[in-house]
Amino acid sequence: MSLQVVIDGLVAGAMIGLGAIGVTLTYSILRFANFAHGEFIAWGAYFALAVSGFLGVLAPSLATPIGPFSFGWSLPIAALGAIALTAALALLVDALLFGPLRAKGGAIIILVMASFGAALTLRNLLEFIFTSRPAYYAEGLQIALRFGGVRATPDALLCLGVAAIVVVAMRFLIAKTAIGRAMRATSENPQLAGLAGVDIRKIVRIVWILGAGLAAIAGIMVGLLVQIRPTMGLDLLLPLFAAAILGGIGSAPGALLGGLIVGLAESITVRLIGAEWRAAVAFVILVAILLLRPSGLFGRPE
Amino acid sequence: MTAQALETRALVAGYERDLPIVRGVDLNVRAGEFVVLLGPNGAGKSTLVKAIAGLVPIHAGAVLINGEDSTFSPPHQKIRRGLAFVPQTENVFATLTIEENLRLAADILPNNVRARRIDELYAMFPDLAARPGRRAGQLSGGQRQMLAAARALIVAPSLLILDEPSAGLSPKIAAEVFARLQAINATGVTIVLVEQNVKAALAVASRAVILVEGEARHEGSAAELADDPIVAELYLGAAKAGA
Ligand SMILES: Nc1ncnc2c1ncn2[C@@H]1O[C@H](COP(=O)(O)OP(=O)(O)OP(=O)(O)O)[C@@H](O)[C@H]1O
Ligand SMILES: [Mg+2]
Repeated sequence: MSLQVVIDGLVAGAMIGLGAIGVTLTYSILRFANFAHGEFIAWGAYFALAVSGFLGVLAPSLATPIGPFSFGWSLPIAALGAIALTAALALLVDALLFGPLRAKGGAIIILVMASFGAALTLRNLLEFIFTSRPAYYAEGLQIALRFGGVRATPDALLCLGVAAIVVVAMRFLIAKTAIGRAMRATSENPQLAGLAGVDIRKIVRIVWILGAGLAAIAGIMVGLLVQIRPTMGLDLLLPLFAAAILGGIGSAPGALLGGLIVGLAESITVRLIGAEWRAAVAFVILVAILLLRPSGLFGRPE
Repeated sequence: MTAQALETRALVAGYERDLPIVRGVDLNVRAGEFVVLLGPNGAGKSTLVKAIAGLVPIHAGAVLINGEDSTFSPPHQKIRRGLAFVPQTENVFATLTIEENLRLAADILPNNVRARRIDELYAMFPDLAARPGRRAGQLSGGQRQMLAAARALIVAPSLLILDEPSAGLSPKIAAEVFARLQAINATGVTIVLVEQNVKAALAVASRAVILVEGEARHEGSAAELADDPIVAELYLGAAKAGA
């Protein structure tokens, strides 16, 4: 049973971690806390729902479940579409809202407030289009696999695997590639990055695409393992920020580790105290880390 | 008409819209020249060169780099037009390694010359080649200036602007910096150097411009200015008042 808590925590933590990487990336390049990031998660989930539904109508065979999983080929294909659409949405929000505010050289707090406004608008839009009724990618119930005393659905294990691959790929991108170098340089000193030949506006676009793409993946996982609701992003907001700050703002592996810690803490709390305390866990972690080590586990103390 | 490496026309620039720091500066630097920009503390030397590089908002006037209007070009475009700029402070990426600092700058070069250029810069600055995996934040002041210069030179700029590269260095290392700049200039690279170290700068430069309160007040060959008691008086007096 205790191992079960760990598995549940890791699965929840992987989803939080993927979202938190986006938060940490936007923060380190654009220097503001984007409270609309949760909405990218929700929009990613709904984009995938819409595209897979459309594919299912177009070619019903795509909706037949693949092997042990609950979904058919329509979902992985829709996931690619959802990543692209969510990235486009993030670029659109930046072009309409954050970009003009940055150009005016406004204070950080204005960007943060704008992100609150964007979150509200995006969430209401989802509710308007899809109603607030929960939705699911697949109808059927999935039978959990048993490993000794531990149960896990094939979907959950797949999500863990995908999260692991995505994080390794992100780590490689940031540590080893020219884009990653330019991102790290821009994060440390944007003016000097410009002098070194980096096109800052291009880096900003890349960061939105990466952050929104990861958010879409996280959203699809939540949709697959829990359910799809317009408020799913809002519910994840506090865990996202707790994970990003715990991992050290700017550190992608830190954000994932932070996510896993928050996820584990949540699942342990739910088991020991009760499900109604789940939401409080991220808040407690957030306050504790801000008081004890604001630079996070991986961040550099200023 | 000889080619102008750098030209500013009635340049007005400053950090805030209603507070011009550079107030109508006309600079003309011919290709191959070595010009030193002098002036008391707070005269606006750094602001002027940062505005030229695209880091400080330009309110009026124009900046031409190698004859091309670059007044409102972002820094990454100016770099592609042959400009390299080494700022006064924070001129290396402290969280990146030496190698990464150089590779970042080399990324704008064609694929097949990057590695060769990095090797050439390592040959020029053997100190850097010794431990390429070291984070720039751990380097000494002199090594940092070397890395900053190497970073700027890697793209083989035609115009190199440096803001007080000798600041904080020992006289011996500072002398080495000046000698290197002279050698770089001898290869045909135009240099604009901001300096507090008047004597050493006038010894290596061909021409000097003195900036006071955001305006270019005096201009002349390095030899003329070195011997001009009035200019020395004004410059040193103002420097004292500013300090
Ligand atoms: N980032 C900034 N924001 C606002 N004002 C600034 C900024 N940097 C410098 N200034 C102001 O601009 C004026 C000119 O400063 P600048 O650094 O250009 O002078 P300088 O000639 O380079 O001096 P120094 O010899 O000390 O380097 C000063 O009054 C300074 O207070
Ligand atoms: Mg200065």
